[in-house]
Amino acid sequence: MRTIRRPTSNFTGSYAADPSAVLAPPSLRTEPYLSDSSVQAPLLTCEAVEKRYGEFRPALMSLDFAIGRGEFVLVQGPAGCGKSVLLRLLAGLEAPSAGAIKIAGEDLARMRPRALAQLRRSMGILPPGYSLLRGRSVVENVALAAWVAGSTLEEGMRRSRAALELVGLDVQRYGAAGCDELASGQQQCAALARALVNRPALLLLDDLLTPLDEATGARLIGVLDQFSAAGVTVVVAMRTGAALTTSPAPWPARTRILRLLDGKVAQ
Amino acid sequence: MAGPYTYLAAARWEGCPVSYTTSRLSAMSEALRRTFGRPIEFGLVVASSATMLASLALVALTLWRALPLEQPPWMRPQALVLAAGAQGEIDLAAVQSALRRVATVASADFLARDAALAELAQRKSLSAIGLTDLRPNPLPDAFLVRFVAGAAPEAVEAAVAEMRKVKNVESVEYQPELYRRISLLSQLAGRVGLLLAAPLAAALVIGFSLAASLWVHVDRDEVRVLNLLGADPSVMRRPYVYAGATSLLVAAALAWWMVAAASAWLDPMIGSAAQEYALRWAAQAPPIWVGALFCLGAALLGAVLGSLAARVAIRR
Repeated sequence: MRTIRRPTSNFTGSYAADPSAVLAPPSLRTEPYLSDSSVQAPLLTCEAVEKRYGEFRPALMSLDFAIGRGEFVLVQGPAGCGKSVLLRLLAGLEAPSAGAIKIAGEDLARMRPRALAQLRRSMGILPPGYSLLRGRSVVENVALAAWVAGSTLEEGMRRSRAALELVGLDVQRYGAAGCDELASGQQQCAALARALVNRPALLLLDDLLTPLDEATGARLIGVLDQFSAAGVTVVVAMRTGAALTTSPAPWPARTRILRLLDGKVAQ
Repeated sequence: MAGPYTYLAAARWEGCPVSYTTSRLSAMSEALRRTFGRPIEFGLVVASSATMLASLALVALTLWRALPLEQPPWMRPQALVLAAGAQGEIDLAAVQSALRRVATVASADFLARDAALAELAQRKSLSAIGLTDLRPNPLPDAFLVRFVAGAAPEAVEAAVAEMRKVKNVESVEYQPELYRRISLLSQLAGRVGLLLAAPLAAALVIGFSLAASLWVHVDRDEVRVLNLLGADPSVMRRPYVYAGATSLLVAAALAWWMVAAASAWLDPMIGSAAQEYALRWAAQAPPIWVGALFCLGAALLGAVLGSLAARVAIRR
């Protein structure tokens, strides 16, 4: 098993000038394991993946697909089709009942918890629903991801502010506020900023657009498109019929749609 | 310095003096903050945990001081078998051998006349009333027969009847009522003990688990988010391990003090009772290192419970 190098905090540039330039490209340098563009193999592969919970019908069945580096994938399907389960499996938060999920050739099920945790630091994960810590400010919530990845206090704060600006949250106005004080759309933006703050190589975003208005959603898709163009793999799960899924306009033209139906790929 | 992260230290908005470059130290300070931050809750939890630990420690110490557990001689059935003649007139060895062969007999010890007199002389009550009166009245040779501990009264009585039939046995002195009462009482005590021990043990386990869930108050939201962000599992568990160890260490120290106080209060009385009833009772209190080991063990248990609680929270 290859060892996964811990992300280092060698960024010394300015965050103020262009947040997107600050956050996206350095990830490709600081996390060579996931972002080595010279490797042609897909970043992520699912091989005959199945997920069962107890005696019930499998949540996912016979999933076989591969996602390349820099791809923008939209996982779409009705409620209960297994989108969230799939994203949890891809994040290594759960293990598949059968089959294998490989990231950069590494089988997640065979990785030790510590290695899996280190791998997760180079992912940006947005779980469905409220995932911010109550009693902490917006900036702290976002900076937490940077601190977990080894950033110093100051660096974490600077990255946090840059990420918040990137998703369109006014740091001066909302930075010190508690997360509970924000509207649900703003909370979603803060959670997305937290997913972006470590300049990840893989973004797994579940139910991204649900609490957002169309304009904000379209702007965030634009931000994600920038990341994808810089080589970051983006996987977004969206319920069929949700806002912005009926109209393809805001999604990048190269978006690959993966339709899930009853736990299977329907395409 | 991009050192090991700390995620639990209470970060405050900008200019915060909290160090983010320590890990074990900050986890410990976080554990102490969590543990002592709510003094009333902490006091109640520690007091209840200490009471439970003290009960367990008292039971263990009582057993340790009374070991090896065996019935005192007065509780064991015994009979005095008087020989029909003196040494030389009959074959005492044959009588002794015949007595030993009887079922449920554990031992049959020859008690020579002089030895019997010497034993009687040791009894203050008899010497006070004038043991010298016995001297001109010769004592028969006798055998002290002890039966197997815990033998059924009916079996002992059958054995006594059989001994009466042995050749050269003049009489057998045995008090069947006394042993029947003792046997009944000890059986009753055993059953009541078992009946009380099971719910008491269950209550201790339940109480201890409830107290444990309070000392290791896992912030599930925080653990879930940190897991999502890729926090090292061992670092995530650390504050809970330290909090569990600290809480149980304090509870164990308090429990040991309770045990020491209870021992000091009860020891003279128990000692006298043990002497009166010929029970084994170690007079000396347990050495200090036993207390230290007890506290250390409790801290270790707290650490394990804290780690388990955090592991469960991480997996959910």
